[in-house]
Amino acid sequence: MRRALAALSWVAGAVALAVLPTTVGPYYTNVFVTFAIFSVFSVSLNLLLGYTGLFSFGHAMFFGAGGYGTALALKHVSGLALLPAVGAGVLASLVLALVLAPIVVRVSGTAFAMLHLAFSQVLYVLALKLRAITGGEDGIGNFPIPPLNIPGVASLPMKDSPQNFYYFAIVLLALSLWLMWFFTKTPFGQVQLAIRENAKRTDYLGFKVPQSKAVIYLVSAAFAGVSGSLYGLFHNLVSADGAFGALVSFAPIINIMIGGIGSFMGPILGTALFLVIEEVTSRFTERVELVIGLIFVFVIMFAPLGVLGTAKMLKQRWLAGRTARDAVQRAA
Amino acid sequence: MDQTTAMYVAQGLHGLAYGMVLFLIAAGLNVIFGMMGVLNLAHASFFMLSAYLGFQFVSITGNFWLALLLAPPATAICGVLMERFLLTKVHAFGHMGELILTLGVAQIILAAVKGIWGTESLPLKMPPILEGRVTFAGLDYPIYRLFIIGLALAILAVMTLLLYKTRLGKIVRAAVSDAGMVNALGINIPLVFMMVFGIGIWMAGVAGVAIAPILTVFPGLADQVGMDAFIVVVTGGFGSLLGAFVVSIIFGLLSSYGVQFFSQFASVLIVGFMAIVLAIRPNGLFGARDA
Repeated sequence: MRRALAALSWVAGAVALAVLPTTVGPYYTNVFVTFAIFSVFSVSLNLLLGYTGLFSFGHAMFFGAGGYGTALALKHVSGLALLPAVGAGVLASLVLALVLAPIVVRVSGTAFAMLHLAFSQVLYVLALKLRAITGGEDGIGNFPIPPLNIPGVASLPMKDSPQNFYYFAIVLLALSLWLMWFFTKTPFGQVQLAIRENAKRTDYLGFKVPQSKAVIYLVSAAFAGVSGSLYGLFHNLVSADGAFGALVSFAPIINIMIGGIGSFMGPILGTALFLVIEEVTSRFTERVELVIGLIFVFVIMFAPLGVLGTAKMLKQRWLAGRTARDAVQRAA
Repeated sequence: MDQTTAMYVAQGLHGLAYGMVLFLIAAGLNVIFGMMGVLNLAHASFFMLSAYLGFQFVSITGNFWLALLLAPPATAICGVLMERFLLTKVHAFGHMGELILTLGVAQIILAAVKGIWGTESLPLKMPPILEGRVTFAGLDYPIYRLFIIGLALAILAVMTLLLYKTRLGKIVRAAVSDAGMVNALGINIPLVFMMVFGIGIWMAGVAGVAIAPILTVFPGLADQVGMDAFIVVVTGGFGSLLGAFVVSIIFGLLSSYGVQFFSQFASVLIVGFMAIVLAIRPNGLFGARDA
């Protein structure tokens, strides 16, 4: 029964995703693509933050590396197909992560967070200053977006066809989410939790902590690269502020905080909630910083476990109360 | 002194002045971190807030000295209020809670200064006494930067005396190594924390008003100088005052000579230095304790 219900909800979800662009119109389709991209980005950060306990203030650098990698590849390599272009972005993120991993896996806590803030700032400055490569403040815009060729079936144009791009992005992002979910369920994914709870004991148990952290770091960077690459394709533009800016690093942290740390679905829920909050507040005020700041302060003061965590806690409290009441009644 | 040497010395002094300002900010950050384990991401925002308050005081009274006297304590009061009413409440949630809270406060301060003073850069006039240039041994140098160096050295001297020659300093040093034990000995640690927090922010505030006539006051100030200050703390080692001092000076010099020789890549130079240091010593030059 439960299984059938789960299968049914998956099918229903897939159908809903398939008919979404034709039912809600182009504006909300694009909002949904943004939601999907930032979901993957937030979940990839949550692999570090929620699962492994590594707090990064600079995850934007992998997001940005993905975007710039794809944009540069498409701009300079003529005739490059779509998937290899996304691959180029992911490769750029991976290379960046490979360079940083030997340094960052040896620290944790505040030092880890600050190192990432600093490194992402370097990339931000470089993206602004290396004008010949990155286009400086203007970024790289209007690069060609090739059609998606499925050999023997079809060639789907991506430029000027939001609907085709929607399907392409959703399939790729859903695949990424599933892969990350799968990753957390593997025995190796469980080592992450062990490192988060007690790195020293994990070490004593014979797991190589720095190496494990490095692998998780690479996985997280790769998926951030996927989301960044798709974000660049989605807007047909990558810019220093949109790719490496501090607010890009803060966005997934907010999403994770709102949704609930440590659960897989939390960041996705948080992304949706934050998009709604942004949509609503942007009608009243231009002050993004104020909204972000207030959300940070309020969430950490009053609901540090996020929506999912708070809901779980309330449920447990309610259940505990009930069993206690039952026990009292039985005794009486 | 011939022209070239004079130029090098002048650049060196520029770097020293900037390094001293960085140290005023980084020292507060570092002592707060060493004692409470809190990395105050809003620290640079308080630095900026103080610069804005200084601008406001100068535009009301026209007196720079009054601004230098009043703006930092006013900022420190804001900081202490944050510590009292927000920071102590999230202590249970660990480092991440504090980082996120202070990041939130930083964003709120940014929004507030943009809302109150607008986004353009505001000039803060330096006092007439310090406006001129001084000439010694063939070197022509603006007095104001020498004043900054002197001011920072004076504060450094007072703080060193306070830290090593007074009872409060003894308590602070003890609390850095084990706050729980000091608390158990009957000393009101939350009160000491509050005072240290206030003094740290006051120092950043002094730096804010002092540098405002050179850099002008604008909303990007916190990011620009604050990022350098954070890099100083990371590179020098968390909780190490000596590290903060040495690295501040190195950074000041790197950025002033970097601007001279590599112009736009000066900031890359600084971070490159950080990367090299951290690749060899992940906890910073003088950092011993696990951050």
